Amino acid sequence: MTTTTTAIVTPPAGAAPAGPRASWAAVLALAGFEARGLLTRLPVLLAFAVYAGWTVWRTRTSFDGFPALQDADRATQTAPLLVGLAVLFSVSQAVLRSRRYDTERHFAVLVLPPWRRTVAHLLSLVPAVLLVAVCVGGQFGWEALKPGAVGNGSPGELLVGPLSVLLLGTLGVLFARLFASAFAAPLLLVVLLFFSMFAAMPQDGDAIRWLMPVVGDYSTRTLPSELLGRPAAWHALYLAGLALSVALAAVLVSGEGAGARSGSGSGPGRVLKGRFVDHRGVHAGLAGAVALTLLGAVTQADGVPAETEKARMRYSTTPQDLQKCSERDGTTYCAFPEWTSRTDDWAEVVDRVRSLAGDAVRDRPLVVRQRVEARYGPDGDAAMTPLTDPNQVSVGTTWGGNRVPEFAVAVAGVLVTGKEAEASALCDGRLVTVMWLALAGGAEPMADLSRVRVDDSTSGAAVVISETEPLQMTAAHTELVRELLVRPREEVGAKVTANWTELTTPKVTTDRTAHLLGLDAPEEADECGE
Amino acid sequence: MTPTVSASGLSLRFGGTRALDDVSLRLSAGVTGLLGPNGAGKTSLLRVLATAVPADRGVFTVLGHDPGTSRGRQEVRRRLGYLPQAPGFHPDFTAFEFVDYVAILKELTDRTARHREVRRVLDEVGLTGVRGKRLRKLSGGMRQRTALAAALVGDPAFLVLDEPTVGLDPEQRMRFRELIAHAGEGRTVLLSTHQTEDVAMLCNRVVVMAAGTVRFDGTPAELTAQAGGRVWSSAERDPGAKAGWRTGLGTYRNVGDPPDGADLLEPTLEDGYLLTLDGAAVAA
Repeated sequence: MTTTTTAIVTPPAGAAPAGPRASWAAVLALAGFEARGLLTRLPVLLAFAVYAGWTVWRTRTSFDGFPALQDADRATQTAPLLVGLAVLFSVSQAVLRSRRYDTERHFAVLVLPPWRRTVAHLLSLVPAVLLVAVCVGGQFGWEALKPGAVGNGSPGELLVGPLSVLLLGTLGVLFARLFASAFAAPLLLVVLLFFSMFAAMPQDGDAIRWLMPVVGDYSTRTLPSELLGRPAAWHALYLAGLALSVALAAVLVSGEGAGARSGSGSGPGRVLKGRFVDHRGVHAGLAGAVALTLLGAVTQADGVPAETEKARMRYSTTPQDLQKCSERDGTTYCAFPEWTSRTDDWAEVVDRVRSLAGDAVRDRPLVVRQRVEARYGPDGDAAMTPLTDPNQVSVGTTWGGNRVPEFAVAVAGVLVTGKEAEASALCDGRLVTVMWLALAGGAEPMADLSRVRVDDSTSGAAVVISETEPLQMTAAHTELVRELLVRPREEVGAKVTANWTELTTPKVTTDRTAHLLGLDAPEEADECGE
Repeated sequence: MTPTVSASGLSLRFGGTRALDDVSLRLSAGVTGLLGPNGAGKTSLLRVLATAVPADRGVFTVLGHDPGTSRGRQEVRRRLGYLPQAPGFHPDFTAFEFVDYVAILKELTDRTARHREVRRVLDEVGLTGVRGKRLRKLSGGMRQRTALAAALVGDPAFLVLDEPTVGLDPEQRMRFRELIAHAGEGRTVLLSTHQTEDVAMLCNRVVVMAAGTVRFDGTPAELTAQAGGRVWSSAERDPGAKAGWRTGLGTYRNVGDPPDGADLLEPTLEDGYLLTLDGAAVAA
């Protein structure tokens, strides 16, 4: 039968002209609708509130006010995962909404086909991702604007947070399209958390570890940015490729794409059953995205480049070849290029220690040498060996907080013993002089005493933390230092200056040191290795 | 007059069940009632015409477009309003949001114009005062009107309503009849219902289906006329009647082939409907 009919051509109110442009405009409108819903979902609101609150609270005091930006960029990566999990859960619920409330029968005959609705759900993730990107940028910017900031951040590392949220969101969409169950998303969360626990194990090797969105390090050691050897850009590519792959897979599994096939025979309206997806573009895009993912995954697992390994060796063994040195008041400060702005902070400590020693060390040349043990990469935790050259003191790559009194101890140790290596092996009365010189000039000497001791104590024997070898205070040393720190600085300083030669003589006893500084002999034990 | 729907030989099977069997139909402007017992194929026909499911066989056009092609189907959907049987709702959406959501899925993309249109249809179904309320807080009748608003948004040329008055109390049903009558002005409405009163009051045309086939296609008056001289009153239920029931007057109203000398009564649309079914579902 052939029927001749005439279409009614009046367009619906508010409709854009029919065609692909109108469909994409509808996708964007739907994405905006879904994005508003997503951002106002309770889990997402809570996650953002916790994320923002935690970020502000942490960044106020992070890195003791002296951030290295190559560390600060990675510090932005973990917290967005909370938002990502909330987004995964919420977007999954949004995708399942029609099925859950049985509106699919109705919506199935509306103009926008399911695959475009899936695209809208995927696009609805963008505001949440951008919001996380703004938070990441804000957190990093805050660190960068701190007066003590040094170093360089990596765009690749900064992208990890937003890309993780994008990836988790796309996983939520895909799972909701694959498994029409409200339990799919929570189950996926459990599986992801379980996998992340095992993948994060260092023994699993980099290839597995780098498959996770966020790859942390096992050390708090700060390395020059060129030594990190983290494949940040490749990892960002891997995450972006994976998110895109998951997104396109979600579009492909969204059911009816191009609709029913025209049947055999002529004439209008012959209809056959059957649904198929005919998106060659999506298939090609998926293939490209998978290729990008594989490229990123394989390349990021390549390990540390040989040039980086060599540079790590150079930085660790011959730092002098890479450093810029400047002299100030008889002290030479040699810093790696990214740390030259920190010389002023070091000089303040050196000047304070020198001033307490007075004329005895006024003309003593001193070299403050920045050092780093980079041979084991950012995951390494090996201590540096003390310097054996006379009048040279090591300073590390981190600063602020406990690092300041620890550096003061190192400076005092070299001024008293002449060599850093010798200071590390101190086990006599000189340690009392070292500790007083290091701590007495500070604003809170007693607090600093507890900070430099591994057990945060101010009595008894304890190890004193150092960038190189730790020092060991006996209970007698501690007793004397504590008594000295409560006495007037000028009074003790005069005695130190007057008795400098004997106080710094090797093997001087603790009792003798006490006597020279006007103290009673200590009652506490005075034996190293207690 | 150009028909909105022109269908010929539509057939549809679900497994071993024949839901539609060689259905031919032409629909034009006005309200057409689709009557039939459960399982008659009403919903199947509506779903085929609404492009929700493709037919196994047959030829049809809707609004001049061929739903068998992707482009044609999209064009039909662009001009279609569909209210499914027992429609679902998103309880956390407001009435405005729900209709707006449907409007977006109908590709009404200009935000200002779309919102104006959403307000218009909500006003048309009398929900202006509650458009900001969550659907879970609305009564069943209000939700049903929200669904009708969603079907009306975009001013569709062809409106498919599948048992829209089921579950509504008499007052709500009357309100709904007003809305449907209004909606039928200037557009084609296909109304599936079990309620013969709905058809009598609303429709200028009626189609009766049974067992997947069209048993009657004409005006309500013609359907009523089918029972002319075939309805009679008796003191007891006439065993020869195809259907009979005791009325409030204490006498029996019988439908079928009356005996000689029977006390004939004025037929109603329901009598015509029952006779059209030829007893297939009368007992039910």
